[in-house]
Amino acid sequence: MPQAGDSLGGEMMLGPDKKLGFLRDTTIQPFAAKEETLEIALPANTREVVVKVALSYQPRPGNVYPLHEQAFRVTLDR
Amino acid sequence: MRQILPILLGVTLWVVPALAQAQVQARGEVKKPEITSLKGLISRYSSESCKECHEKIYDQWSKSQHSRPLMGMDDQVFLTRYLKEGPLALKKGEKATRENLICVKCHLPQMLEPGVSEAVFDELAQAIQKGDKATLRQLNIGCLVCHGDKAVVHGRPEKGVLYGSKTIPSHPGSPVKKSALLKNPLICGQCHGLGPVLDFKNPQQCATLYGSYLHAYIPTGGSQTCQDCHMPDKNHYMPPNFNNREETSALYKAALPMDVRVMGYTFQPKEEDKRPMVVVQTKITNKAGHRIPDG
Repeated sequence: MPQAGDSLGGEMMLGPDKKLGFLRDTTIQPFAAKEETLEIALPANTREVVVKVALSYQPRPGNVYPLHEQAFRVTLDR
Repeated sequence: MRQILPILLGVTLWVVPALAQAQVQARGEVKKPEITSLKGLISRYSSESCKECHEKIYDQWSKSQHSRPLMGMDDQVFLTRYLKEGPLALKKGEKATRENLICVKCHLPQMLEPGVSEAVFDELAQAIQKGDKATLRQLNIGCLVCHGDKAVVHGRPEKGVLYGSKTIPSHPGSPVKKSALLKNPLICGQCHGLGPVLDFKNPQQCATLYGSYLHAYIPTGGSQTCQDCHMPDKNHYMPPNFNNREETSALYKAALPMDVRVMGYTFQPKEEDKRPMVVVQTKITNKAGHRIPDG
Protein backbone atom coordinates (compact mmCIF):
# COMPACT_ATOMS: atom_id res chain seq x y z
CA MET A 1 0.00 0.00 0.00
CA PRO A 2 1.14 3.56 -0.51
CA GLN A 3 2.20 5.47 2.58
CA ALA A 4 -0.94 7.12 3.92
CA GLY A 5 -1.67 9.95 6.33
CA ASP A 6 -4.89 11.15 7.93
CA SER A 7 -5.24 14.20 5.63
CA LEU A 8 -4.76 16.43 8.68
CA GLY A 9 -0.98 16.59 8.63
CA GLY A 10 2.22 15.12 7.26
CA GLU A 11 2.54 12.16 9.59
CA MET A 12 2.25 8.64 8.22
CA MET A 13 -0.55 6.58 9.75
CA LEU A 14 -0.84 2.84 10.20
CA GLY A 15 -4.25 1.17 10.15
CA PRO A 16 -7.18 1.78 7.82
CA ASP A 17 -9.16 3.37 10.65
CA LYS A 18 -6.68 6.25 10.70
CA LYS A 19 -5.66 6.47 7.04
CA LEU A 20 -7.24 9.02 4.73
CA GLY A 21 -5.20 9.98 1.69
CA PHE A 22 -1.70 9.24 0.49
CA LEU A 23 1.52 10.98 1.49
CA ARG A 24 3.80 9.06 -0.82
CA ASP A 25 3.44 6.14 -3.20
CA THR A 26 6.47 3.88 -3.32
CA THR A 27 4.60 0.85 -4.62
CA ILE A 28 5.44 -0.86 -7.89
CA GLN A 29 3.12 0.39 -10.60
CA PRO A 30 1.77 -1.68 -13.49
CA PHE A 31 3.88 -1.38 -16.66
CA ALA A 32 6.38 0.84 -14.81
CA ALA A 33 9.53 -1.03 -13.92
CA LYS A 34 11.25 0.07 -10.74
CA GLU A 35 15.00 0.35 -11.23
CA GLU A 36 17.55 0.96 -8.53
CA THR A 37 21.34 1.24 -8.52
CA LEU A 38 23.27 0.55 -5.35
CA GLU A 39 26.92 1.56 -5.22
CA ILE A 40 28.63 -0.29 -2.42
CA ALA A 41 32.11 0.65 -1.25
CA LEU A 42 34.07 -2.42 -0.20
CA PRO A 43 36.78 -2.67 2.45
CA ALA A 44 40.26 -1.78 1.15
CA ASN A 45 42.09 -4.48 -0.80
CA THR A 46 38.96 -6.58 -1.35
CA ARG A 47 39.30 -8.41 -4.65
CA GLU A 48 36.36 -10.78 -4.55
CA VAL A 49 32.91 -10.60 -3.01
CA VAL A 50 29.65 -12.55 -3.00
CA VAL A 51 26.60 -10.36 -3.49
CA LYS A 52 23.21 -11.71 -2.46
CA VAL A 53 20.10 -9.87 -3.68
CA ALA A 54 16.79 -10.80 -2.07
CA LEU A 55 13.30 -9.45 -2.62
CA SER A 56 10.56 -10.24 -0.14
CA TYR A 57 7.07 -8.98 0.62
CA GLN A 58 6.27 -8.16 4.23
CA PRO A 59 2.65 -7.03 4.62
CA ARG A 60 3.00 -7.02 8.41
CA PRO A 61 6.01 -7.23 10.70
CA GLY A 62 6.86 -10.90 11.00
CA ASN A 63 4.85 -11.98 7.94
CA VAL A 64 7.61 -12.35 5.36
CA TYR A 65 6.94 -13.83 1.93
CA PRO A 66 10.25 -14.48 0.12
CA LEU A 67 10.04 -13.76 -3.61
CA HIS A 68 13.49 -13.73 -5.20
CA GLU A 69 17.00 -14.51 -4.07
CA GLN A 70 20.04 -14.43 -6.31
CA ALA A 71 23.73 -14.73 -5.45
CA PHE A 72 26.65 -13.44 -7.54
CA ARG A 73 30.35 -14.08 -7.08
CA VAL A 74 32.08 -10.91 -8.23
CA THR A 75 35.78 -10.47 -8.80
CA LEU A 76 37.48 -7.14 -9.21
CA ASP A 77 40.41 -8.71 -11.06
CA ARG A 78 39.11 -8.79 -14.60
CA MET B 1 -47.55 29.89 17.82
CA ARG B 2 -46.42 27.67 20.72
CA GLN B 3 -49.34 25.36 20.00
CA ILE B 4 -48.76 25.27 16.25
CA LEU B 5 -45.08 24.20 16.42
CA PRO B 6 -45.63 20.70 17.91
CA ILE B 7 -48.36 20.08 15.38
CA LEU B 8 -46.11 21.08 12.47
CA LEU B 9 -43.27 18.92 13.81
CA GLY B 10 -45.66 16.02 14.17
CA VAL B 11 -46.77 16.33 10.58
CA THR B 12 -43.18 16.65 9.36
CA LEU B 13 -42.03 13.57 11.28
CA TRP B 14 -44.89 11.55 9.86
CA VAL B 15 -44.44 12.75 6.30
CA VAL B 16 -40.66 12.17 6.05
CA PRO B 17 -40.71 8.38 6.74
CA ALA B 18 -43.71 8.03 4.46
CA LEU B 19 -41.86 9.81 1.64
CA ALA B 20 -38.70 7.77 2.26
CA GLN B 21 -40.73 4.57 2.02
CA ALA B 22 -42.37 5.77 -1.17
CA GLN B 23 -38.94 6.56 -2.66
CA VAL B 24 -37.65 3.11 -1.73
CA GLN B 25 -40.61 1.52 -3.46
CA ALA B 26 -40.22 3.81 -6.47
CA ARG B 27 -36.60 2.64 -6.90
CA GLY B 28 -37.79 -0.96 -6.76
CA GLU B 29 -35.77 -1.72 -3.65
CA VAL B 30 -36.32 -5.04 -1.96
CA LYS B 31 -37.40 -4.98 1.66
CA LYS B 32 -35.79 -8.06 3.14
CA PRO B 33 -36.89 -9.78 6.30
CA GLU B 34 -35.55 -8.03 9.35
CA ILE B 35 -32.29 -9.60 10.51
CA THR B 36 -31.93 -9.04 14.23
CA SER B 37 -29.14 -11.41 15.21
CA LEU B 38 -25.81 -12.69 13.93
CA LYS B 39 -27.39 -16.12 13.77
CA GLY B 40 -30.04 -14.71 11.45
CA LEU B 41 -27.40 -13.03 9.30
CA ILE B 42 -25.34 -16.22 9.08
CA SER B 43 -28.42 -18.21 8.11
CA ARG B 44 -29.64 -15.65 5.55
CA TYR B 45 -26.26 -15.53 3.76
CA SER B 46 -25.26 -19.18 4.17
CA SER B 47 -23.67 -20.85 1.13
CA GLU B 48 -24.52 -24.35 2.33
CA SER B 49 -27.46 -24.88 -0.02
CA CYS B 50 -25.27 -23.87 -3.00
CA LYS B 51 -22.73 -26.49 -1.98
CA GLU B 52 -25.14 -29.32 -2.76
CA CYS B 53 -24.82 -28.76 -6.52
CA HIS B 54 -21.73 -26.53 -6.80
CA GLU B 55 -19.39 -28.59 -4.65
CA LYS B 56 -16.22 -27.82 -6.61
CA ILE B 57 -16.82 -24.07 -6.53
CA TYR B 58 -17.76 -24.23 -2.85
CA ASP B 59 -14.54 -26.10 -2.12
CA GLN B 60 -12.46 -23.50 -3.99
CA TRP B 61 -14.22 -20.64 -2.21
CA SER B 62 -13.94 -22.28 1.23
CA LYS B 63 -10.14 -22.15 0.94
CA SER B 64 -10.17 -18.51 -0.16
CA GLN B 65 -9.76 -15.31 1.84
CA HIS B 66 -13.41 -14.53 1.01
CA SER B 67 -14.50 -17.39 3.25
CA ARG B 68 -12.86 -15.75 6.28
CA PRO B 69 -12.95 -11.97 5.74
CA LEU B 70 -12.91 -11.21 9.47
CA MET B 71 -9.81 -13.30 10.10
CA GLY B 72 -6.46 -11.80 9.20
CA MET B 73 -3.08 -13.37 8.67
CA ASP B 74 -2.20 -16.11 11.15
CA ASP B 75 -5.91 -16.47 11.96
CA GLN B 76 -6.00 -13.26 14.02
CA VAL B 77 -9.20 -11.28 14.58
CA PHE B 78 -7.81 -8.11 13.09
CA LEU B 79 -10.78 -5.87 14.00
CA THR B 80 -10.19 -6.28 17.75
CA ARG B 81 -7.69 -3.46 17.98
CA TYR B 82 -9.89 -1.02 16.07
CA LEU B 83 -12.65 -1.44 18.66
CA LYS B 84 -10.09 -1.05 21.44
CA GLU B 85 -8.30 2.13 20.36
CA GLY B 86 -8.43 4.74 17.65
CA PRO B 87 -11.32 6.60 16.00
CA LEU B 88 -13.61 3.53 15.88
CA ALA B 89 -13.03 2.45 19.49
CA LEU B 90 -15.92 1.71 21.81
CA LYS B 91 -16.16 3.51 25.11
CA LYS B 92 -16.80 1.41 28.22
CA GLY B 93 -20.46 0.39 28.43
CA GLU B 94 -21.23 1.81 25.00
CA LYS B 95 -23.16 -0.27 22.46
CA ALA B 96 -21.54 -0.63 19.05
CA THR B 97 -23.24 0.81 15.99
CA ARG B 98 -22.40 0.72 12.29
CA GLU B 99 -20.15 3.75 12.91
CA ASN B 100 -17.82 1.54 14.97
CA LEU B 101 -17.81 -1.20 12.35
CA ILE B 102 -17.35 0.63 9.07
CA CYS B 103 -14.94 -2.12 7.98
CA VAL B 104 -17.99 -4.29 7.28
CA LYS B 105 -18.60 -2.22 4.17
CA CYS B 106 -16.20 -4.63 2.49
CA HIS B 107 -15.30 -7.27 5.07
CA LEU B 108 -18.96 -8.23 5.62
CA PRO B 109 -21.00 -6.16 3.13
CA GLN B 110 -24.29 -7.92 3.88
CA MET B 111 -24.31 -6.05 7.22
CA LEU B 112 -25.16 -2.85 5.36
CA GLU B 113 -28.06 -4.34 3.42
CA PRO B 114 -31.58 -3.11 4.24
CA GLY B 115 -33.18 -5.03 7.07
CA VAL B 116 -30.12 -5.63 9.25
CA SER B 117 -30.84 -4.11 12.64
CA GLU B 118 -28.42 -2.09 14.76
CA ALA B 119 -28.48 -4.89 17.36
CA VAL B 120 -26.53 -7.08 14.93
CA PHE B 121 -23.69 -4.55 14.90
CA ASP B 122 -23.42 -4.68 18.67
CA GLU B 123 -23.52 -8.47 18.63
CA LEU B 124 -20.76 -8.55 16.04
CA ALA B 125 -18.67 -6.12 18.11
CA GLN B 126 -19.09 -8.37 21.12
CA ALA B 127 -17.99 -11.43 19.13
CA ILE B 128 -14.93 -9.50 17.94
CA GLN B 129 -14.07 -8.27 21.44
CA LYS B 130 -14.43 -11.77 22.89
CA GLY B 131 -12.37 -13.27 20.08
CA ASP B 132 -15.25 -15.62 19.33
CA LYS B 133 -13.62 -17.25 16.32
CA ALA B 134 -16.26 -19.97 16.05
CA THR B 135 -18.88 -17.32 15.28
CA LEU B 136 -16.62 -15.04 13.25
CA ARG B 137 -15.57 -17.91 10.96
CA GLN B 138 -19.21 -18.34 9.94
CA LEU B 139 -19.42 -14.74 8.75
CA ASN B 140 -18.11 -14.58 5.24
CA ILE B 141 -18.39 -13.16 1.76
CA GLY B 142 -20.32 -16.09 0.34
CA CYS B 143 -22.24 -16.88 -2.82
CA LEU B 144 -25.17 -14.56 -2.08
CA VAL B 145 -23.00 -11.48 -1.70
CA CYS B 146 -21.53 -11.48 -5.21
CA HIS B 147 -24.37 -13.40 -6.89
CA GLY B 148 -26.95 -11.19 -5.17
CA ASP B 149 -26.36 -7.78 -3.65
CA LYS B 150 -23.10 -6.96 -5.45
CA ALA B 151 -24.27 -8.17 -8.85
CA VAL B 152 -26.52 -5.15 -9.30
CA VAL B 153 -25.38 -1.55 -9.04
CA HIS B 154 -28.06 0.09 -11.18
CA GLY B 155 -30.86 -0.02 -8.62
CA ARG B 156 -31.39 -2.93 -6.26
CA PRO B 157 -31.36 -6.71 -6.84
CA GLU B 158 -34.72 -8.29 -7.48
CA LYS B 159 -36.31 -10.22 -4.65
CA GLY B 160 -35.78 -13.98 -4.83
CA VAL B 161 -33.40 -13.74 -7.78
CA LEU B 162 -29.78 -14.83 -8.05
CA TYR B 163 -27.40 -13.36 -10.59
CA GLY B 164 -24.89 -15.18 -12.73
CA SER B 165 -22.99 -14.94 -16.01
CA LYS B 166 -26.00 -16.41 -17.83
CA THR B 167 -29.77 -16.66 -17.31
CA ILE B 168 -31.04 -19.95 -15.85
CA PRO B 169 -34.80 -19.64 -15.20
CA SER B 170 -35.05 -23.24 -13.94
CA HIS B 171 -32.23 -22.91 -11.39
CA PRO B 172 -33.31 -24.78 -8.23
CA GLY B 173 -34.22 -22.55 -5.33
CA SER B 174 -34.13 -19.22 -7.13
CA PRO B 175 -34.06 -18.29 -10.81
CA VAL B 176 -30.75 -16.93 -12.09
CA LYS B 177 -30.68 -13.76 -14.14
CA LYS B 178 -27.72 -12.68 -16.22
CA SER B 179 -25.67 -9.85 -14.75
CA ALA B 180 -22.91 -8.41 -16.92
CA LEU B 181 -21.15 -7.34 -13.73
CA LEU B 182 -20.13 -10.92 -12.93
CA LYS B 183 -17.49 -10.70 -15.65
CA ASN B 184 -16.68 -7.05 -15.09
CA PRO B 185 -13.96 -5.65 -12.80
CA LEU B 186 -16.55 -3.41 -11.15
CA ILE B 187 -17.96 -6.32 -9.16
CA CYS B 188 -14.56 -6.65 -7.46
CA GLY B 189 -14.01 -2.89 -7.38
CA GLN B 190 -17.00 -2.40 -5.10
CA CYS B 191 -14.80 -3.63 -2.27
CA HIS B 192 -11.24 -3.69 -3.57
CA GLY B 193 -11.62 0.03 -3.51
CA LEU B 194 -11.05 3.36 -5.03
CA GLY B 195 -9.59 5.32 -2.16
CA PRO B 196 -10.97 7.18 0.85
CA VAL B 197 -14.35 5.95 2.10
CA LEU B 198 -16.21 9.08 3.10
CA ASP B 199 -19.64 7.56 3.68
CA PHE B 200 -19.27 7.34 7.46
CA LYS B 201 -18.88 9.69 10.41
CA ASN B 202 -15.31 8.43 10.81
CA PRO B 203 -13.96 8.25 7.25
CA GLN B 204 -11.21 5.77 6.54
CA GLN B 205 -9.09 4.27 3.81
CA CYS B 206 -8.40 0.63 3.22
CA ALA B 207 -8.09 -1.03 -0.18
CA THR B 208 -7.31 1.18 -3.18
CA LEU B 209 -6.68 -1.53 -5.73
CA TYR B 210 -9.53 -0.80 -8.12
CA GLY B 211 -8.41 2.82 -8.26
CA SER B 212 -4.98 1.64 -9.36
CA TYR B 213 -6.58 -0.65 -11.95
CA LEU B 214 -8.65 2.24 -13.35
CA HIS B 215 -6.05 4.99 -13.21
CA ALA B 216 -2.71 3.22 -13.74
CA TYR B 217 -3.31 -0.13 -15.46
CA ILE B 218 -6.02 0.83 -17.96
CA PRO B 219 -4.45 4.16 -19.04
CA THR B 220 -1.13 2.41 -19.78
CA GLY B 221 -2.76 -0.09 -22.11
CA GLY B 222 -3.94 -2.82 -19.75
CA SER B 223 -6.89 -4.80 -21.06
CA GLN B 224 -7.36 -7.74 -18.72
CA THR B 225 -10.01 -7.97 -16.04
CA CYS B 226 -9.63 -8.96 -12.39
CA GLN B 227 -11.38 -12.20 -13.27
CA ASP B 228 -8.88 -13.01 -16.06
CA CYS B 229 -6.03 -13.27 -13.57
CA HIS B 230 -7.69 -14.07 -10.23
CA MET B 231 -10.49 -16.35 -11.47
CA PRO B 232 -9.07 -18.39 -14.36
CA ASP B 233 -11.64 -20.97 -15.52
CA LYS B 234 -14.09 -19.38 -13.03
CA ASN B 235 -12.01 -20.68 -10.14
CA HIS B 236 -13.49 -19.21 -6.96
CA TYR B 237 -10.28 -19.65 -4.93
CA MET B 238 -9.25 -16.14 -6.03
CA PRO B 239 -5.67 -15.89 -4.77
CA PRO B 240 -3.69 -14.51 -3.01
CA ASN B 241 -4.36 -16.61 0.03
CA PHE B 242 -1.98 -15.26 2.66
CA ASN B 243 -2.42 -18.34 4.82
CA ASN B 244 -0.60 -20.34 2.15
CA ARG B 245 2.86 -18.81 2.30
CA GLU B 246 4.53 -20.91 -0.37
CA GLU B 247 1.77 -20.33 -2.88
CA THR B 248 1.60 -16.59 -2.14
CA SER B 249 5.36 -16.24 -2.57
CA ALA B 250 5.15 -18.03 -5.93
CA LEU B 251 2.28 -15.78 -7.06
CA TYR B 252 4.11 -12.57 -6.17
CA LYS B 253 7.33 -13.91 -7.66
CA ALA B 254 5.57 -14.44 -10.98
CA ALA B 255 3.91 -11.00 -10.81
CA LEU B 256 7.16 -9.21 -9.96
CA PRO B 257 10.03 -10.58 -12.07
CA MET B 258 13.39 -9.22 -10.94
CA ASP B 259 16.46 -8.70 -13.08
CA VAL B 260 19.81 -8.11 -11.35
CA ARG B 261 23.16 -7.02 -12.76
CA VAL B 262 26.29 -6.89 -10.63
CA MET B 263 29.65 -5.37 -11.50
CA GLY B 264 32.85 -5.16 -9.49
CA TYR B 265 35.58 -2.61 -10.24
CA THR B 266 38.14 -0.31 -8.67
CA PHE B 267 37.03 3.28 -8.42
CA GLN B 268 39.76 5.96 -8.44
CA PRO B 269 38.36 9.39 -7.52
CA LYS B 270 41.88 10.89 -7.22
CA GLU B 271 45.56 9.88 -7.45
CA GLU B 272 46.63 7.26 -4.91
CA ASP B 273 43.00 6.69 -3.85
CA LYS B 274 41.78 3.36 -5.10
CA ARG B 275 38.50 2.05 -3.77
CA PRO B 276 37.09 -1.42 -4.44
CA MET B 277 33.42 -1.11 -5.38
CA VAL B 278 30.53 -3.26 -6.37
CA VAL B 279 27.58 -1.85 -8.28
CA VAL B 280 24.25 -3.64 -8.08
CA GLN B 281 21.49 -2.73 -10.53
CA THR B 282 18.01 -4.12 -9.94
CA LYS B 283 14.93 -3.91 -12.12
CA ILE B 284 11.56 -5.08 -10.83
CA THR B 285 8.68 -5.21 -13.30
CA ASN B 286 5.03 -5.38 -12.28
CA LYS B 287 2.99 -7.71 -14.47
CA ALA B 288 -0.17 -7.34 -12.37
CA GLY B 289 -3.11 -5.12 -13.29
CA HIS B 290 -2.64 -2.87 -10.27
CA ARG B 291 0.02 -1.49 -7.99
CA ILE B 292 1.78 -3.92 -5.68
CA PRO B 293 1.23 -4.00 -2.82
CA ASP B 294 -2.43 -3.08 -2.56
CA GLY B 295 -5.64 -4.86 -1.60
